Amino acid sequence: MYHVKQADLVIIGSGAAGTMSAIYAHRVDPKLKVVVLDKSKMETSGGAGRGMDALNTVALPPYSQPEDVVELLTKVTEGVLDQDVAYRFGEVCPRMVADLEQIMDRGKGDLFPVDEDGNYQLLYLHPINKPLLLPMDGEEMKRALAHAVRETGAEVMDRTPALKIITSDGKVCGVLAVNIRTGHYYYIKTKAVCLTTGAAGRMGLSSSGYLAGTYEFPGCSGDGYTMAYEAGAELVNMECFQANTLLKDHQGPSCGYVAAPRGAYTINPWEQRTWSHGYSSGDSKMGSWKRFAQGKGPIYLKMDHLPEEMIQIIEKIQWGNERTSRGLFHHGRQQDYRNANAVELAFAEEIGVCGGHSSSGVLSDVDGATCVPGLYVAGDVDGGLPHSYLGGALAMGGIIGEAAAHFAAGVPEPAQRSGLKAWLRKEAEEFEAPLRREGGLPTTLVEYKARTRVQYYLKPPKNPVFMEKAAWWMERIRQEDLPQIQAVDMHDLLKAHEIKSILRVGEMMARSSLFRDESRWGYQHWRTDLPAKKPEWDRAWVVIKKGPEGGMELEKRPVPGYKWDYPTAMEYAYPDLEFDTGPMFEKGPEWKNPTDDPWMKKHLDAQGMATPRLFMPKEED
Amino acid sequence: MSTINGVRYDEKDYSWLNFDHGLCVRCGVCVDMCPMDVLHFGEHGYPYMRYRDDCWYCDVCTFVCPRQAISMNELPYLIR
Repeated sequence: MYHVKQADLVIIGSGAAGTMSAIYAHRVDPKLKVVVLDKSKMETSGGAGRGMDALNTVALPPYSQPEDVVELLTKVTEGVLDQDVAYRFGEVCPRMVADLEQIMDRGKGDLFPVDEDGNYQLLYLHPINKPLLLPMDGEEMKRALAHAVRETGAEVMDRTPALKIITSDGKVCGVLAVNIRTGHYYYIKTKAVCLTTGAAGRMGLSSSGYLAGTYEFPGCSGDGYTMAYEAGAELVNMECFQANTLLKDHQGPSCGYVAAPRGAYTINPWEQRTWSHGYSSGDSKMGSWKRFAQGKGPIYLKMDHLPEEMIQIIEKIQWGNERTSRGLFHHGRQQDYRNANAVELAFAEEIGVCGGHSSSGVLSDVDGATCVPGLYVAGDVDGGLPHSYLGGALAMGGIIGEAAAHFAAGVPEPAQRSGLKAWLRKEAEEFEAPLRREGGLPTTLVEYKARTRVQYYLKPPKNPVFMEKAAWWMERIRQEDLPQIQAVDMHDLLKAHEIKSILRVGEMMARSSLFRDESRWGYQHWRTDLPAKKPEWDRAWVVIKKGPEGGMELEKRPVPGYKWDYPTAMEYAYPDLEFDTGPMFEKGPEWKNPTDDPWMKKHLDAQGMATPRLFMPKEED
Repeated sequence: MSTINGVRYDEKDYSWLNFDHGLCVRCGVCVDMCPMDVLHFGEHGYPYMRYRDDCWYCDVCTFVCPRQAISMNELPYLIR
């Protein structure tokens, strides 16, 4: 069944950023007709669906200023930051924190810690000497945000993923969506779209082999990256991969941002530390990689030196927030934070891309606006504000909600699309093709194949051959396997659709890595054929967009001029991998084979290239 | 194991969530809230893991159940 709806603003994805977009858009204009789409359920969807324990990067005077956020992001992004966006984020942090307290109905000092003067108590974590991490008792955050969205009167459509952002004359004019529980299709005419769909976090496959064993929320399969690309938006930093140090097999966070500011650190069995700080930047990733490359893994989160009281605090935070199955997991593995080498970590088990945890996403400006009029982005799909985590999603989510509401007020309603019914039928038939197939490839099998190829070929250290092979595999699976994929129901059909995004994002990762012919961001874009930064790539983005012929176009583009003269490099070095493995076996003079092979040639002449004989003798008629 | 292409499961199949039918009142909150659409109603209206292998072991179901009828006994087999 097809439905046509009319809206002023459609928000795609109701995680932290999307919910804040809806709340702020309503503040600008309470009469605005807002539709919120989520492939999941707004109350529990996204990375923060089960709560969060901190805002990892925020500026809150007097202990930190917006300039400190600019300093941090300038350094960890190593020359690809739009400083104006970072400053804007820093500026609105106090407003965002006050909003959260009000939305969650939590008094000052309850949701976030404050000192005796009532100032927010920030902790040190980042590789600059400024405190920017704000702990939070945020288990209820997502449900409170969802409640606030429903209070605005926005039409919330759960279990209804967007399939396409529709443009007319290069401007946003509609969204196509489908409800995976009813099978109903929706064409929503709209003046503006806030795209807040999260990371491309279901890319590489971890060694557990469990498809849903991802660090990011598994629903975040890169659909937003693909929809924005198809709609004409530009993407940046797709070569700056996310590669995390995570809880081995569980794939939950390594707990570093909870435990590191409280005295924990990462070591190997010989008590060698992996790095000097616990922030997840390219330099510290090199440190983790080094221990495994040396054959001196695994690595552990060391906490046994902490006082019992502190261990219990860490347990309380980590087992009661974000990934609450962590306590059960540790119990099952007989892991006790009080023992040495208890909490095993793994590194780079799943390669992906993310704006909030790294730098990759849709290019946006200080308002979160993209190059497509009417399309705004925030959160993990946003490449305009790297390394901003939950705080960035919330703050920029609010900013794009405001900006999109103002934009919608100034443009006319999109024109009625001619031939809408026929178009909808065609789109639905295309989407549902895997349902009609019999004897096809199961979705799980194709996803397994795509993600193992992503992990094998894209995992740094990179070289051009691996990247070319990755791009080749993405295209091959798209051409050969997708036309054969079979879905058993609507739930499964969404999986088939998500695999298209995985392949498209994988291709972007490969092509962008090839285009930036240097190394940068430590482990995240380390090319062994070019293991150094090049000055000509300082302050330059790799921009990807869909070309007029339909192919992927890449260009080098200068980053907007820097206003603050902060360091633009981290402290690390690319190692020389041409190490000596000793003298090889030497062939003696008798170690010589004939230059031709008459024995094999005789067989070839007699049998051709056919299989020599049948396994079972042929039955006589 | 009665799977269809390894995607859909039956109520009797292996599951790391336990649904206590003595406590469950079949209110459907868990089915509504599961972020990965794993939980659906079974033959007699009790929830079960229809799309078991999409479970992110996020614990939302045990958290939202008003009757504490759901328990996560262990983590998914491949990661426990």
